[in-house]
Amino acid sequence: MTVSTALELRNVIRRFGTVVAVNDVSLNVSKGEFVTLLGPSGSGKTSTLRLVGGFENLDGGSILLNGQRIDHLPAYRRDTATIFQSGALFPHKTVAENVAYGLRMRNVPKDAIMKRISESLDIVRLKGFEARYPAQLSGGQKQRVALARSLAVRPAILLFDEPLSALDLSLRLQLRAEIKRLHDELKFTAIYVTHDQGEAMAMSSRVAVMNAGAIEQIDKPETVFHSPTSEFVYTFIGESCCLPVRVTSAGIEDKKGQAVGLRLGERLAEGECRIYVRPSRLRLISEAALLPNQLTARIHFIEFLGDLYRYHLKAGALELAADHAGSIGHGVGDEIEIGWRNEDMRVFR
Amino acid sequence: MSDVAPRGAEPLVLKVLALAFTVFIVGYILVPILVTVAMSFNDAAMIRFPINVWSMKWYADFFGSPQWMDALENSILIAIGTAAISTTSGVLCAWAFQRFHIPFRDMWYILIMMPLFMPGVVLGLGVAIAFGGISIGGYAFYGSRELVMLAHSLWAMPLVFMLMEATFKTIDYRIVEASYDLGGGPVRTFFEVVLPLVSTGIVSSLLFAFVISLNEFVMALFLTDRDTQTLPVLMWLSLRSAGTPRLAVASVILALTVFTCLTVIMLWYIRQLRKVAR
Amino acid sequence: MTDAVRIDDASYETQRTAQERRKLLAPWILMLPALVIVLVFFGIPTVYMVRMSFNLHMDQRLYVPGFTFEHYVNLFSNPLFTNAILTTIKLALVASLATVVIGYAFALLVWLKPARWRLLFIGLALAPLLISEIAIIFGWWMFFPKNGLLSYGLLSAGLIHEKISLMYTEFAAFVGLVYVTLPYCFFILLSIFDGIDKRLLEASADLGASPLKTFREVMLPLTWTGILVAFSQSFIWTMGTYATPSALGPDTLWTMGFLIQEQMLGKHNWPMASALAVVLVIGVAAVMVVTRSMQSERTSFHV
Repeated sequence: MTVSTALELRNVIRRFGTVVAVNDVSLNVSKGEFVTLLGPSGSGKTSTLRLVGGFENLDGGSILLNGQRIDHLPAYRRDTATIFQSGALFPHKTVAENVAYGLRMRNVPKDAIMKRISESLDIVRLKGFEARYPAQLSGGQKQRVALARSLAVRPAILLFDEPLSALDLSLRLQLRAEIKRLHDELKFTAIYVTHDQGEAMAMSSRVAVMNAGAIEQIDKPETVFHSPTSEFVYTFIGESCCLPVRVTSAGIEDKKGQAVGLRLGERLAEGECRIYVRPSRLRLISEAALLPNQLTARIHFIEFLGDLYRYHLKAGALELAADHAGSIGHGVGDEIEIGWRNEDMRVFR
Repeated sequence: MSDVAPRGAEPLVLKVLALAFTVFIVGYILVPILVTVAMSFNDAAMIRFPINVWSMKWYADFFGSPQWMDALENSILIAIGTAAISTTSGVLCAWAFQRFHIPFRDMWYILIMMPLFMPGVVLGLGVAIAFGGISIGGYAFYGSRELVMLAHSLWAMPLVFMLMEATFKTIDYRIVEASYDLGGGPVRTFFEVVLPLVSTGIVSSLLFAFVISLNEFVMALFLTDRDTQTLPVLMWLSLRSAGTPRLAVASVILALTVFTCLTVIMLWYIRQLRKVAR
Repeated sequence: MTDAVRIDDASYETQRTAQERRKLLAPWILMLPALVIVLVFFGIPTVYMVRMSFNLHMDQRLYVPGFTFEHYVNLFSNPLFTNAILTTIKLALVASLATVVIGYAFALLVWLKPARWRLLFIGLALAPLLISEIAIIFGWWMFFPKNGLLSYGLLSAGLIHEKISLMYTEFAAFVGLVYVTLPYCFFILLSIFDGIDKRLLEASADLGASPLKTFREVMLPLTWTGILVAFSQSFIWTMGTYATPSALGPDTLWTMGFLIQEQMLGKHNWPMASALAVVLVIGVAAVMVVTRSMQSERTSFHV
């Protein structure tokens, strides 16, 4: 542990009855870092965040904030601040009173509170909204107030609990960029929980992909995207197609035992395995010819997605999709060649 | 009922029946009320219809009588005390049920609700024999207003508890967590965030408790003496001896007190609605 | 760095235990006022009352400590008390039945009427709830006697030729009792009706069912639980009441509640009053248990 570590989770465990929600999670967050916990629902990401915030009790392990154990402290004695999914603004208090709340609880002097209210609202671009009630704000404005309220207390760490999931798409993108900007400007430390990989990729210093209560991989967004270490991470991040095959001495066949026209650059060990490719990395017809891995498949149907066409293909029992900018001049039922590079393929068994 | 397709004479019969029943039920509910209001403006000393001379004589008599005014004062003081005691205890208890894991939860729940289902005469008797001879530091507990408040709370508190238990379930718990998160301790959170969120429930609880206590007279009959007797008790005792229009005035005053409270609450509630919509 | 954490461990443990103790204690502190009220002013009196019912009653003293079943034996052998028990049950049964029938019709009416009538009717139903029982008694007390409004009204209308009095009759007691319990029944049943989709009626009519048949086949089964709850609610209430029947009814209409008050305040026989109260409470509890079991049977039948 170095001095720059803000938050440290050591072998944290949380059970709900017989279900282990958080299973032996260890995590270090450096000062100024923006770490995203990414995972499907039920993966334990929200439970982990709530353990840090003090809303759940630990069943094992320890949590340290700036080198001090905090896992025994109630939420109101931890130097953390959460931005909730719903905003969770106090409906009976004005925007200014909402922002002032945490400062009042910390017995900050009145004039200092006034100064901090205007600073915080300035940061989230809500100047002039001081006297409004939450009911008079839009969804996006509510989340900005929630952010200002949490920033105002200058916590050791900010905890985001899917703050954008209740908003519509355009607002989500806009606020996502704004949070990113604020982090670049203010360099706060944060843990951000989401199931949206776009958010995770766009904002994070590091992404922790969670599954079944454990962290599967934690690294820079680029690394997680390009070099996933496990099958779960590979399939969860980005789109992928799965080709379940059996490798025999005679060649490669599908699950039904029928030989498929799959030619790989590297020999695979015999037995069953799953080959993963990404639709965006597949090359079609003439572009496929020079690539080391190739598959002959029939066009099943074609989707027009605006920027590109998505070809849904079948080869025996194998199904996959390939994206191509513009039409390739083939129609449904035609047999075409598909190819991909070695680094664009993963094999798991 | 009008849009039922005509099917012989049946709908007509039903319509007539519905109308007859409406007349009956409206008459039934209004009769004792109207009789009382009319009689309170009677000039004569006897309860007798028809009323020939109308006057405010009995109102003047009521407000001029120290005995009746004392009874009214006792009633209101006891009702305020009951509202305060039962709302405080009921709200805190309901919050404990909402917020914490309580061992043997169901058992405690039943225990707290049980007095509500007990006849007033049983509760009055029980409290009277248990506290009949008790005085604390020379202060006679039996016969005091405080004892009546506590006895009335046996009915009012479970009601408040039930109401608040349901109300607490409606609040968005994240808002409470947000308060803890920002450094608000349990006590400050309760007063600054939780109570304002359930203010309508609190005010309704106060009103319920107040009305129950104001109107109750069986327990009060067992537990009060001449100095502390409430208006309903005095009315009951007077009715047993002789009924006069003064009793009608007392009825009207009692009902007016309730309806005044109700109006205040309604106004408050409307203001609250405006506040949210603002 | 690990050392720094080690040093913290001891103080961490004490802090953690303190925190956990606080967490365990908190609900009890919050529940304390309510529990004190219930235990001290309901629990202790109940124990006292049960104990009191076995005490002796001698001379003109309130009670003499002792142990006897005399009062319970007396309760079930002396015609004064057995009659009171029977009267109480009979009155409660008949009054509750009438209350449920009237309350059901009232709730049905409000449910079927257009919404603009609703608030008016609800306000009307609230009136008996907000008015003191004593004021209601007094209202009827001025309605029924010879010089009351009823007699005067009928005489003026020419329906009768001589003044009549319905005061101090079982009918008067009955009218008063139903009046007091009606709003509870009404609101319980209305809330049940509000949970029913009105289009069910149209559907039933479309299928050719007469209104009577629709009522029997559709409405009654759907509202059965509400009827049970409303009935037991008013039954419990009427069992325990004594003011209304004793003020409006005949002198022979002695209910258990009346006898409790009579023994306690009039005869100063505390053990007897307590024995009566114990039997009354057991009766109330029995009704509650029976209703509860009927309710669950019904639900399990539907599932």
